Amino acid sequence: MVLASLRDVRFTYAYADRSALDGVTLELASGGLHGVVGLNASGKSTLCALLRGIIPHFHTGQLTGEVEVLGRPLLEWEPADLSRAVGCVFDNPFTQISGIRDTVFEEIALGLENLGTPRDEMIERIERVVEQIGLQAIVAKNPNDLSGGQRQKVAFASIIAMDADVMIIDEPTSQLDPEASEAVFQIIADLKARGKSIVLVEHKTDLLATYADTITVLSEGRVALTGPTRDVLSDPRILEFGVRPPDVTELAWRLADAGKPLGSTPITSAEAQAAVRQRLEKRAS
Amino acid sequence: MIELRDVRFTYPDGSSAVAGVDLSIASGERVAIVGQNGAGKTTTVKLMNALLTPTAGEVLIDGVSTAGRTTAQVARSVGYVFQNPDDQLFSADVRSEIAFLPRYLKWPDDMITERVEQAAALAGITDHLDTNPKDLPSAVRKFVAIAAVLVSGCSHVILDEPTAGLDTRGLDLLTGILDSLERDGVTVVTITHDMRFVTDAFTRVVAMAQGRIVADGELADVFGDDDVLAQARLKRPDPAQLARDLRLGDRVVTIDDVVAAIP
Amino acid sequence: MSTRPPLTTAGDYRRPVTLGNPILDLNPITMLLSITFVAVVAVAVDGWVAPVVVAAVFVLLAFLAGKGRTYLVLILKLWLVVGLLLFVLRALLIKGETVWIPLGPIAVTEEGVLDGLRFSTVVMAICGAVTLFFTLVPMRRFTLALERLGVSPRASYVVLASFQAITDLGTTARAVMDAQKARGIETEGNLLVRAKAFFPVLAPVFLSAMSATEERAIALDARAFNAHGPRTSLVLLPPTAAGERVVVVLCALLAAAAITGGVLGWF
Repeated sequence: MVLASLRDVRFTYAYADRSALDGVTLELASGGLHGVVGLNASGKSTLCALLRGIIPHFHTGQLTGEVEVLGRPLLEWEPADLSRAVGCVFDNPFTQISGIRDTVFEEIALGLENLGTPRDEMIERIERVVEQIGLQAIVAKNPNDLSGGQRQKVAFASIIAMDADVMIIDEPTSQLDPEASEAVFQIIADLKARGKSIVLVEHKTDLLATYADTITVLSEGRVALTGPTRDVLSDPRILEFGVRPPDVTELAWRLADAGKPLGSTPITSAEAQAAVRQRLEKRAS
Repeated sequence: MIELRDVRFTYPDGSSAVAGVDLSIASGERVAIVGQNGAGKTTTVKLMNALLTPTAGEVLIDGVSTAGRTTAQVARSVGYVFQNPDDQLFSADVRSEIAFLPRYLKWPDDMITERVEQAAALAGITDHLDTNPKDLPSAVRKFVAIAAVLVSGCSHVILDEPTAGLDTRGLDLLTGILDSLERDGVTVVTITHDMRFVTDAFTRVVAMAQGRIVADGELADVFGDDDVLAQARLKRPDPAQLARDLRLGDRVVTIDDVVAAIP
Repeated sequence: MSTRPPLTTAGDYRRPVTLGNPILDLNPITMLLSITFVAVVAVAVDGWVAPVVVAAVFVLLAFLAGKGRTYLVLILKLWLVVGLLLFVLRALLIKGETVWIPLGPIAVTEEGVLDGLRFSTVVMAICGAVTLFFTLVPMRRFTLALERLGVSPRASYVVLASFQAITDLGTTARAVMDAQKARGIETEGNLLVRAKAFFPVLAPVFLSAMSATEERAIALDARAFNAHGPRTSLVLLPPTAAGERVVVVLCALLAAAAITGGVLGWF
């Protein structure tokens, strides 16, 4: 099953002079965690909006090419059905909460209420997600009084609770501290383990290296690189497209430049440790 | 010189945000403040430019207490760039945004033109001077906000989460600004969650937890100390963790350090 | 049902939400109808005594509901500012035969004073009713009750979001003023100083509130706000007790009696 398939997709926002997507051809498999990286304004958020049907239903503009989501052409989807099948959280936490709920608990309930989830099941699902994301301390607070980071977690929790099969998540950790970012990635990994398909826009390649199955690098509205996480992150060309490699990958490149190459290019810290250890042992013997 | 002497701050609802902080930052120094959300970082820097007034203790800027001075007075020497540029920008074009304070201070016209252009060049937004800030991507708006603060010629500047939402191009630009400020002897105090930014651009780090400073020193004093990391709930950056696991040395933290330490 | 204890901090949503007071827990519609009917009495019965009694009843109700202090402070301000002004204007402007104090072209007359009393007390009783309703009924509870009667969630969203927007404007304005201070613009001091800092930011504060609406609409859509099927509700209002219906009927009878009496000239 294919999560999404795009063929030569171009999109220009109304009143814009440049295409936001400029000939994108891409296939994302179902059940995977797909990272999307690239410079600001490279088309990442536009891609998300497209997969979620916000383009062309909310944002107007000129769309050409073929887009299929979950095997069905984008334009054949009933917007309400698509928004139910594909959950999404965008990056500005201040617009991602409804603003009309008195407590975090009720805020998370909003989507479930709209889906007609029975009360007992709703409460159980909210309690589970509250525990999962560690919101216990703020469940009774008014969402409108929360900090950016807290709102980000609440928005994330609200979408997780709705349990869509596909989730599009745009920079969920931009306002979070390192510990909370790691926790969010853990949750995303759990979702994947439960068979969800995830498209994740994220600058933190260290975390993508551990969790993502594929990575797509966008540059000026085009797919610059796409493929298995390892292939993309260990490809030095990502630097040209403004993508920061994982720290350990950069370390390996710098070691090579300094005439101390490792046997392989690590992308995770465990791999780096093994590679450096190997080098140290070889030198010692 | 920015000095905090046993500064405490309690919010009107009784919750304590800063519970006794002593900190001294020399003029021209560059310091990163790190710690979990809610550790008191933002409160601490807001005390530095009198956006908040300490409940107890004293804040001295270049030897003068902030007590009894308005935020605007203190801000002429301690600039503050907010995390969210949208709170800070309201003019119809970037040029008037940057010129807002100089005009308010009634500087001579030619001086305004010169300083605005300097600030814009420093922040890398010369091409956008005639654009409405609202039409710029948020990452660029961030640099407009930086220019609008730096134009005052303040001798100390506070940056709240400057790397959030920046791509590598933005990061390079930001690093360039920091270096230029250092050459001009401007103090920079940054709050950040981005440990890579800390290890790349800073030598002094202050780690906070629960309203207190738990470590203040060189990178290795924070990232080399398990207790500090646990208290501030920080994760050691991967290169530092690697160095530790492979016993490359206690003070090996950055990628450069690791490259040097591996034979 | 889960055997886990409920999250104590969030309250137990499995049971109807209680505000811890039998009056506050009345169904908002019961409250709306009863308060309206009582206010009708103030209008229907001639003279100033009835409105004053009605206003006093409202104060009593507020105290019984545990919101007496808040309500009294609000309502006293209204009486002192609006009520007094209305009274003085009417008392001075209405012409009459029995002149008490001649003041050149105008005069304080018995008729004027009586009319002023009547007019201001009626207006104040109505203000008291509206204030009481909003003091006792949280907006969210009211829209919830309306939704149960079939009002669309979109309508209640518009109402709730508008109220929130007012709060948000205040928050944004404060943040922007903080940013003004932080760049060296004086915002403390006399009115002129404040105005100089505040006016340039006024338009942007409104604009930024507006610009968020599109993103919010998309965020709401992601929460299935536009779904077609039946909806459920997390918050459960207490069931409307038979006693509540009796109270509403009694209040309605009282209002009917007052209107009939007014028409037939009983008072």
